[in-house]
Amino acid sequence: MSVLAEAFAKELGSESDLRRAVDEVARCTALLPLRANLFQLSFHAPEVARRAQPGEFAQIRVAQSHIPLLRRSFSFSRADRDSGVVSFYLGAVGVGSRRLREFGPGDEARILGPLGRGFSIPDRPGRSALVSGGLGAAPFPLLAERLREVGEEMIWLNGARNSSELYPDELIPSGVKEVVQFTEDGSCGQRGRVTAGLGPLLSDLDRVYACGPNPMLGAVVALMAESKSGSAGPPQLEVSIEAPMGCGFGTCLGCAIPLRPKAGPGESAVGLCCRQGPVLRGSLLDWERLLTQPAHLQ
Amino acid sequence: MKASATSFDPRVDLGRGLLLANPVTVASGTFGFGFEQEALAGVGHLGAIFSKGTTLLAREGNLPPRIAETAAGMLNSIGLQNPGVEVVARDYAPRWAKWSVPVLVNVAGADIGEYVEVVRRLDGVTGIAGLELNISCPNIAHGLDFATEPAAAARCVAAVRAATELPLVVKLSPNVTDITEVARAVEDAGADAVSAVNTYVGAKIHLPSRRPVLPGHGSGGLSGPAIKPLALAAVIRVRRSVRIPVIGIGGIANAADALEFLVAGADAVQVGTANFNNPQASREIVEGCQAFAREHGLLRYSELRWQELDHPGTEESGAPAV
Repeated sequence: MSVLAEAFAKELGSESDLRRAVDEVARCTALLPLRANLFQLSFHAPEVARRAQPGEFAQIRVAQSHIPLLRRSFSFSRADRDSGVVSFYLGAVGVGSRRLREFGPGDEARILGPLGRGFSIPDRPGRSALVSGGLGAAPFPLLAERLREVGEEMIWLNGARNSSELYPDELIPSGVKEVVQFTEDGSCGQRGRVTAGLGPLLSDLDRVYACGPNPMLGAVVALMAESKSGSAGPPQLEVSIEAPMGCGFGTCLGCAIPLRPKAGPGESAVGLCCRQGPVLRGSLLDWERLLTQPAHLQ
Repeated sequence: MKASATSFDPRVDLGRGLLLANPVTVASGTFGFGFEQEALAGVGHLGAIFSKGTTLLAREGNLPPRIAETAAGMLNSIGLQNPGVEVVARDYAPRWAKWSVPVLVNVAGADIGEYVEVVRRLDGVTGIAGLELNISCPNIAHGLDFATEPAAAARCVAAVRAATELPLVVKLSPNVTDITEVARAVEDAGADAVSAVNTYVGAKIHLPSRRPVLPGHGSGGLSGPAIKPLALAAVIRVRRSVRIPVIGIGGIANAADALEFLVAGADAVQVGTANFNNPQASREIVEGCQAFAREHGLLRYSELRWQELDHPGTEESGAPAV
């Protein structure tokens, strides 16, 4: 490996530790219907709940039959070690999630997890912004719980296209100091995009955590690259990105993500969302290639 | 170790000294190089592992999207993403050498010269139990040429055969007019066994954008339970065409599926897409097959074979009877 490639590999870090994952038969404890087609689905899965960290995900087997064939990948929205309950924040948009919308207490599903690499939790408290777009709010309740435990001061910029797609205020953990809502159509909170709210905050932040559609994440990266950083340097940015996954543990190679093409000649600039991600430092991704993917994937 | 005449012997002889502990193996491209599954669910229960397709140089693979779910199946167009043969021989093989399960490296190339060069690098490397020649990858340019033309397939196999003493399995494509012609050609050229079948070429359309989901030509390889009946029919025909062992592949998701392939004439099976939705699939299949064998008092799995297949190598070429 070239010196440049070695430096890149170090920055990229190790892959997810598959030995932490368990495949647990989980029983549904609750389905909480939310606005429009959104819902929160909870399972009793004590082994998964004990291991889950913010930003990591689970592979849920939706049906015993061959349709849908593949498991569905969802970030942990909550994981309570004491009750052994894990929760997911979903929208009924496809074959798998519509089937999950029909789940009720007592229904069983296999849950494989935790998988992937999650958000970094700082050793010493500072100031964080949590920036979400639509369903991208999913991993932040668990992240906020863990950040609260270290005494982090948090502001949550909660964005969506319209009020019916906004993550509900009442589900946001109490440890979040301030919540600012943004909708593109102005139907709730401030009219506009979360990036408009993030810009003025940047100089006072130590960390930015972002999750949402790729164009939103690209806009956050661009905003932070342009902004003048304070004396302490720019805040660290971690993004949780989405890619269509087959297995979730690195064997189907379906969830390829383009990495910054600076790995050096002959070194691969393709990573797997399920092993190197889904949470990555924003600077590691090749946003130009990521954002030129076909529109139906965005 | 010789099994007594009255006890069940699950072993399968694939020829050239390659003896599998049981007939359940995992298909190339569905198990990586074994390390992910080793961490998740273990590999010691398997008869063999067929690695991800390996080329001379590292390949990044195709641009996303690379997979698309279909009814009881999935399409893939990975494009042979792999680290190249040097990494496989230098870094992976020493780790495989510590496993009890034999690992066969699936080999792919753009031309005969590349196949031979990859095979030369793997020949004699400790930890590599055999080779599976991928003459039928649907997702790289010209990848199907060797698979569809019996004479070209034979030339490729003969060249590889001359370059190695390792057990040599040749993976057949179902995307041909007559799979038996290719099977016979590669048998005559020195293959120790054939595996059948690779994925079927398929496509999925995204109606709102009026375009195929997969990029490039818009097609990929279809796998999963959707192809099982097609694969079973192919295995029956291949079994009748050649005398060498046949490894059945296509939509095997449980023990009954695996046993059906043994009835259809397969000596062993490869579990593929099921590994993606159930990391324990191959273990459950091994255990389920053993339970079936006990329950039915089998001495060998080969007793399951459909009796009319007892005389392999007898089918004439031509279109399958319907």
